[in-house]
Amino acid sequence: MHADQGHRAAARAASMSLAHGGAQTIAQKIIAAHCGRDAVEAGDYVTVSPDYVACQELFWPGHKRNLERIGVDRIPRPDKAVMVIDHSTAAAMGSHHHETHRTLRDWCDRQGIENFFGPGNGLRHLVLTERGFARPGTLIFSDEGNIASIGALGALNLPISTEVIVAIIQDENWIAVPPSARLTLTGRLGFGVTARDVIQTILRDCTADGRLLQCCVEFDGPGLATLSLDDRQAILASLFHAGAYTGIMEPDALALEYVRARDGGRPWQVVRADPGAPYMTRLTYDLAAIQPMVTLPPDAHGAVPVAQAAGQRIDQATIGSCANGRLDDLREAARLLRGRQVAPHVTLYVTPGSRGVYVEAAREGLLAVLAEAGATILAPGCTTCWGYQGVLNENEVLISTQQFNYQGRNGARSSRVFLAGPAVVAASAVAGRIVDPRPMLAGEVA
Amino acid sequence: MTTACRGRVWKFGDDVHGDDGIIEFAIIRDSFGKEFDEAALRAMCFRRLRPEFPDQVRQGDIVVGGRNFAHHNHVEVSVAMRASGIAVVVVESCDAGFLRRALNHGLPVMTCPGIHVAVADGEVLQADPATGTVTLPDGRRLQSRPFSARMVQIWQAGGSIPLLEREFAARRAATREEDTP
Repeated sequence: MHADQGHRAAARAASMSLAHGGAQTIAQKIIAAHCGRDAVEAGDYVTVSPDYVACQELFWPGHKRNLERIGVDRIPRPDKAVMVIDHSTAAAMGSHHHETHRTLRDWCDRQGIENFFGPGNGLRHLVLTERGFARPGTLIFSDEGNIASIGALGALNLPISTEVIVAIIQDENWIAVPPSARLTLTGRLGFGVTARDVIQTILRDCTADGRLLQCCVEFDGPGLATLSLDDRQAILASLFHAGAYTGIMEPDALALEYVRARDGGRPWQVVRADPGAPYMTRLTYDLAAIQPMVTLPPDAHGAVPVAQAAGQRIDQATIGSCANGRLDDLREAARLLRGRQVAPHVTLYVTPGSRGVYVEAAREGLLAVLAEAGATILAPGCTTCWGYQGVLNENEVLISTQQFNYQGRNGARSSRVFLAGPAVVAASAVAGRIVDPRPMLAGEVA
Repeated sequence: MTTACRGRVWKFGDDVHGDDGIIEFAIIRDSFGKEFDEAALRAMCFRRLRPEFPDQVRQGDIVVGGRNFAHHNHVEVSVAMRASGIAVVVVESCDAGFLRRALNHGLPVMTCPGIHVAVADGEVLQADPATGTVTLPDGRRLQSRPFSARMVQIWQAGGSIPLLEREFAARRAATREEDTP
């Protein structure tokens, strides 16, 4: 696609969809169902009432000031608010955010919000899935694009940043219906390749030309069924780097089994795209062709095969974040680290994405493997992903499963952040430099 | 009420980074949760790309951006531009999150394919978010998608919070009136 085409296609999307005889994408159907219409077209401005609004604590002092300024005494639907302290879990241990925790707790108590999850419960992304809020066909307003990960269960994340407070106050908010893109996965991942490598490859290919800009990316294809739910969430969580608005997958038997175990009797409905539904762009990726990747600083789409980054000495390695803080990621890391030691000059931080992941990793013995190898296990939350912990000094080098690699994200501007999946990060932590994880996984090297 | 903005253009290129270009994330990280420090945001706004911007920008100026403008942006990016006096941002393309964050803080962003080659730095442009019309210095017009009525209300109120403040006050006044015998 020519560089201009993707960027201009967004402007054409509304008129394009009219030519499809009313066939609707998954996103269109979910949005229509939440604004009382039979159908919507890409570009339509509509007002939707969400099933839930997910909000983190970091901007809470500002939200609280705004509530007081507007004069909001009671919110209309406290049952829809899901309030999660995930960015500053260690606040009582050295930052000013502990006051935020207190005021958010107190406000939730006053409003009768039962879905308050304090520090250590984990990321909103995982709270939403593990506790049955994200169910097929649900529409969730949240504050971040990476919460598209809930799309693995057929739930639609609509990120509205600090406007979450508007949705909490009004039980509705305006949206422009996003155009949809279709991304078909075929094949099966090869040895030592992870879902992170898939999304790094997609970002490499689809960022510069803007072909996913403002889109809801809908995934399908036989390759999808070969991926675990954790892998699917890892792919969706990083889509926003290409400018995509959100992402979603039609839930299969694996996803529905997961939902049924957690729905607590709350309603849901599987939503499928109509044949002939309008997609602004269609892409196909063969999972078997994906290799382990490393994204070079400072661009989120600067992925190269690991061989091209191999040999880069590192100071720190981190595994966690809304991209790769799930159980499969910790399993992958433990597979690499079992019986090995982190290089003496490297600090390795591992952050389980939620309390559920933490507990299960403990049950499986993964935490012992990681700790024995020299990793420091942090409390579930965002931790190292925004430089809140694991701050980098001048010229230090980090390899991480986190979301961002731009300058200054994790500390000094001269520090550099390389992004990769858990296998590459764990293997690199052992080697003390960036390496291909496959020889280590195969037992060919110590 | 006129909705057209007329102002001098500051022109930027493609793929301008929000958090590490328009502002500096390393500086704002520690102030999350506190009131926006508008003086600090004005002082850092675009200075990495155009060091003269903070001193020379004037109230009512217009920012014109290329493709994928302001990608990876926290709300401070929008606040920095609005606090600098920027009246409207007109771009080739941007993600939907930027458009929302900006509007929520009273800064209208218009996506207008073709704008980047059509206008030069320092020229005077007219852009109307309500009609979607962008009038070039030579009088030619480009058309982008107009804002909805609600978006125009949010913009003209100076953001979502000032608008809700006004609407809630009006609601309370109406209730008081009804209660008065």
